[in-house]
Amino acid sequence: MIAILLLGSFKSFGANLSMSARLDSVNLLMGNVTTLHLEVVEDKGTNGRLSIFQEIDRARGYATVCGDSVELRTNYSVDTTELGSGKIQLNYAIPMQSFDSGTYTLPKFIYLAGKDSAVSNSLTFNVYPVNVTAEDPIAGFANVVEPDGKRFYDWIPDWLLDFWWLWLIIFLAVCVFLYGTKNFKKKVIPFIAPKELPKPWDVALGSLQRLKNRKLWEQGLEKDYFTELTDILRVYLFERFGINAMEMTSRQIMDKIYESDLRDKRDYVKQILNVADFVKFAKVRPLPADSIAAYDNAVKFVEETIPVQNPQDNETEKREGGDA
Amino acid sequence: MSETINIRELNDLIASKASFVSMIRSGMDRRIIGQKHLVDSLLIALLCNGHVLLEGVPGLAKTLAIKTLASLVDAKYSRIQFTPDLLPADVIGTLIYSVKNESFEVKKGPIFANFVLADEINRAPAKVQSALLEAMQERQVTIGEETFKLDNPFLVMATQNPIEQEGTYPLPEAQTDRFLLKVVIGYPNKEEEKSIIRQNITSTATPITAVIKPHEIVEVQKIVEKIYIDEKIENYIVDIVFATREPSKYGLADLASIISYGASPRASISLALASRAYAFLQGRGYVIPEDVRAVCHDVMRHRIGLSYEAEANNINADEVITAILDKVAVP
Repeated sequence: MIAILLLGSFKSFGANLSMSARLDSVNLLMGNVTTLHLEVVEDKGTNGRLSIFQEIDRARGYATVCGDSVELRTNYSVDTTELGSGKIQLNYAIPMQSFDSGTYTLPKFIYLAGKDSAVSNSLTFNVYPVNVTAEDPIAGFANVVEPDGKRFYDWIPDWLLDFWWLWLIIFLAVCVFLYGTKNFKKKVIPFIAPKELPKPWDVALGSLQRLKNRKLWEQGLEKDYFTELTDILRVYLFERFGINAMEMTSRQIMDKIYESDLRDKRDYVKQILNVADFVKFAKVRPLPADSIAAYDNAVKFVEETIPVQNPQDNETEKREGGDA
Repeated sequence: MSETINIRELNDLIASKASFVSMIRSGMDRRIIGQKHLVDSLLIALLCNGHVLLEGVPGLAKTLAIKTLASLVDAKYSRIQFTPDLLPADVIGTLIYSVKNESFEVKKGPIFANFVLADEINRAPAKVQSALLEAMQERQVTIGEETFKLDNPFLVMATQNPIEQEGTYPLPEAQTDRFLLKVVIGYPNKEEEKSIIRQNITSTATPITAVIKPHEIVEVQKIVEKIYIDEKIENYIVDIVFATREPSKYGLADLASIISYGASPRASISLALASRAYAFLQGRGYVIPEDVRAVCHDVMRHRIGLSYEAEANNINADEVITAILDKVAVP
């Protein structure tokens, strides 16, 4: 009697939580996926869970049953149906797959809700192998599917990833090459027609005219006057004849002139340098005639040493100008 | 041409006083064949109260030159042969105890003369060299507790033999700097050599008579001091000296590695003094760049330090000075 009472009370207690199991297909091709449906009826507000997924590594993605021959995926879905009277039904849809052929009996699944639990019915199903023939080695087998949730680098081919260091070296080499070519590339200098340098005699005569206009000796600045006059003459000797007169003493200049083709013009230079040495180094104040004579001699020296252009050259130039 | 009175007066004064120069030159010519440059250098040193360091192989009439000059000036001459065992007292003098007077008496050394030939100066140790060089600089000597002024004019001509370096004490740069000029003399040419033979195979020596007195030389030295140096010449001298110190600034970057140290301010002073004396010898009362260039090698060659690179490339101070003179702008 007591046992009957106890059993009765247990049954009424167990009537609040129940679970049933079914398969979409009991004949499953090796590697194919079918769905295991677990339907749990419980009171609303009960917080239960399936024990099969309790103690597995979620990162692994599946739990195994039937001696590791059947895999139950953790990416299952659950939906809820209102049954009324405070009851709800949880519908678990668990993807199931097997890679070993044979007949399997799924174990009873346990649903735990606090101190209560429910146990499902057991199911039997058959996994049949792929029909491989010589003509069609993988006939009827599942197609290759793309993995779920591809990341961006999954799109990069493996050969590219495997030799990443090679691509890095090539990339750096290209960068260095581009940097080098950018910085060391010869700048293209636009062609600018060279300005025709003024002729030494034009420069000298212009400088002499400017010196005359400044009227230095007339103002009592004979030393400055002769310093500039000799400098003009020295620069002219260098520019026109290549005589380094700026680094030569008066005697050295005279010696050089005497040795050159300018021998017949030496008197002009001699008068200038002689007076200039007195004025510059001996505090001598020259007479106006000396200053004028020095200027005139400088002008004569320059004018008489202007190269005479060959008439044939003129004709050639004119002809070239005409042809152009 | 009108000129300021000072220069004209000075030119006249020089013209009247410089006649002894030609007499000294002709007197020297009677005894010494060739070596015009040596004679001019001795005159320059004499006129600006300086000293001469002479470098040349033996037998080039170095001793004869200064001896003849002393005779022509009617001056006291002495010769000191520098040897490794020479003592400072052998040069400047010492105190000697006189038994007769029972006191120490001063025994003056050979340095008490107008013209002193310090022969082979680099054979004596440093202390003897220092004693001589100090006397040259100070123009006085202290023996015991008494200080004696040296004669005026006072010219030391020191000689160095450039080929025998073993057992010598080369003069330090600081001491060679005290010589106004360093003159390098070479061998005579063939014609000169023949004349030397003819002159020396006769037993009779050409008599030399004095052409000027020592006190007249002192007067001429005072005239030389009045010779005008324009600021342009001063700038030229400064540029030459600075070019030895900072050659790169004068477009002589190649010399930067050749010169280990440049000329001192004493070089500038000596260049100005020697240029003035040279102008006097030319009968001018003012200095022109030509004068500076004429004495530049003798004044500067012992004041420029050359690097090992220069030695390795067989470059001497004269080549460096020539390069500088060819680059520095002449006023």
